[in-house]
Amino acid sequence: MSNAQLEIQVIASLVAIACAIPGTFLVLRKMAMISDAISHSILPGIVIGFFITHDLNSPLLILLAALTGIITVVLVEYIQKTGLVKEDTAIGLVFPALFSIGVILIAKNANDVHLDVDAVLLGELAFAPFDRLIIGGTDVGPKSLWVVGTILLVTVALLFTFYKELKVSTFDKGLAASLGFSPAIIHYGLMSVSSVTTVGAFDAVGAILVVALMIAPAASAYLITKDLKKMLILAITFGVFSAIFGYWVAHWLDASISGSITTILGLVFLAVYLFAPEKGIIAVLYREKQQRTEVSLLTFLLHLKNHDDLSERHVKHLNEHINWQKVRSKTVLDLAQKNNMITIKNNIVSLTQKGDEFTSKAIDYIITNEDAQIEDMKDDFFLFRG
Amino acid sequence: MRKIIFLLSFIATLSCKNEAKTNGKLNVVTTTTMITDLVKNIGGDAINIEGLMGSGVDPHLYKASEGDVTKLVNADVIFYNGLHLEGKLVDVFEKMEGQNKTQVALAETIDKGQLIGSEYFASNYDPHVWFNVDFFKLFARKVTQVLSEKDPENAKTYIQNEEKYFEELDALKKDIQGVVDVLPKEERILITAHDAFNYFGEAYDFKVVGLQGLSTATEAGVQDVQKLATFIIEHNVKAIFVESSVPKRTIEALQQAVKSKDHDVKIGGTLYSDALGDAGTIEGTYVGMYRYNIKTIVSALINE
Repeated sequence: MSNAQLEIQVIASLVAIACAIPGTFLVLRKMAMISDAISHSILPGIVIGFFITHDLNSPLLILLAALTGIITVVLVEYIQKTGLVKEDTAIGLVFPALFSIGVILIAKNANDVHLDVDAVLLGELAFAPFDRLIIGGTDVGPKSLWVVGTILLVTVALLFTFYKELKVSTFDKGLAASLGFSPAIIHYGLMSVSSVTTVGAFDAVGAILVVALMIAPAASAYLITKDLKKMLILAITFGVFSAIFGYWVAHWLDASISGSITTILGLVFLAVYLFAPEKGIIAVLYREKQQRTEVSLLTFLLHLKNHDDLSERHVKHLNEHINWQKVRSKTVLDLAQKNNMITIKNNIVSLTQKGDEFTSKAIDYIITNEDAQIEDMKDDFFLFRG
Repeated sequence: MRKIIFLLSFIATLSCKNEAKTNGKLNVVTTTTMITDLVKNIGGDAINIEGLMGSGVDPHLYKASEGDVTKLVNADVIFYNGLHLEGKLVDVFEKMEGQNKTQVALAETIDKGQLIGSEYFASNYDPHVWFNVDFFKLFARKVTQVLSEKDPENAKTYIQNEEKYFEELDALKKDIQGVVDVLPKEERILITAHDAFNYFGEAYDFKVVGLQGLSTATEAGVQDVQKLATFIIEHNVKAIFVESSVPKRTIEALQQAVKSKDHDVKIGGTLYSDALGDAGTIEGTYVGMYRYNIKTIVSALINE
């Protein structure tokens, strides 16, 4: 592996971390699309910067881009605060307006100049190692490594300083206000960090990757945990994993690095969506099936409790009487036996002591809806887990 | 910490191959297909050549692949067009100084006075200079000069190849002139999707009208389409043209606009503008591409 390849992976990982942190809060606040909005709304900043400098490579263009990013955030917040529209609508109102101002400015004044976001701002991860920072004649590494590294340091410092404030204002704005810190200031702070991160990362790795790294890892982590700290750590892990694994996929396929990383981010989300222990599709399906079986079990136990005559308790009778298919009655019988709730003698089913108690408690719970009764049953049965 | 160690070992196990070519030849990287073809003609077998862009790729919108990193790391010489044709890539090359590579922006070797400038911003120029064969010959001269400096042992080969290629280009020039002369001056109007053919127009007295500006990001406005439609009818233009690296939607919209004014304009064919045809075909070379373009243009515009 050449130095360049290693540097690309380090830069991609740093960007992944720098994006995952604000991304987690954005996802929790339902503002995830703000990074995509910023990628469009910075166009007028770039155009005006060009009109001032007449130079496509001037750093003023990027500075004004970041400023337009913050303006985007402020406008979105302002519209949203009116309470007339939701967060996503506010975002959708602001960025097309700003983007089209940029397009009109180009069309009116600079139609024959190669002026677009692609040409000016959006970087390409593959080329990051070739743009080096040279201080006093010494090569100290790729420039974007320093840009992204600085942004990451600031983000991490802010995260540790304002963790509590961020947490409270994300989950309970009212409480935050009553505790004495303004949710608005925290909000603008977070959004400004997101804006600067977005623009800085755009310059290093390009737009789609930044948007994907902000949203996908945080969204995946959200499916696994509700704990903010764990969510941050998981989002960072997913981001870094996708960055490095995606890079090697690009290597094997000789494909676009950003494209491959974004694809892996999508696949990570898909995997989590399918296999997450609580909210994953497979877990949900399994739980639903288990719950159905347990309802049947309860019905069956009730039946046993209510009928003493042998004919009603014959194994074969269950098929006819409760009208179950064979497979299902077998599943239910097995489950009941496994839990020592019934015994079967000569094909006659009878409740055990434990089965009897279980049934009484369950009925009690269904009638009174009091949790205390069934606390000890929650671990074994999905039915009682709410 | 354990995670970091895991990731590092993961990287280490995956880092398998480091394929720097070490057959002693000069490693040359080129950007657009036109430049790749040119450098192939001059360098021949004496160099290793890697073209970054394939056929049909819009150089403004080119996306790098992972393999391009290794190509660039191993490059001794990089030839590119410049004048912002390759977008951000141009910045990348300009910033590569001090990395033991020679980067040459071929279009920037041309005297600025001869370039077509932007109407509004003096320091920006139309980058599609290769459509003037004389400029393309300047490209060739520069390539020969740089290759000979970098690899004096093979300088003779490069100069011989250059001579041979110049003959080909001169023949091409003569052929183009012959075909163009058939078309009366007032019928020399070339309408395409974006402004790629200004140098061609300048060289052969064509009035060139592009629907879109130079930047592929701005879309053509409704007024632009209507104005151009009126222009087509007034000048009785018979055909308009699609470009291989630009979607043909805009040109079809223009055709519809002309139709709605009860006139007919046909689509004269697909021209190669920012990229050559597929490698291995005749249009995959600069000379073949130009012959094809000029034949397509003239045969669509001429009155039979």
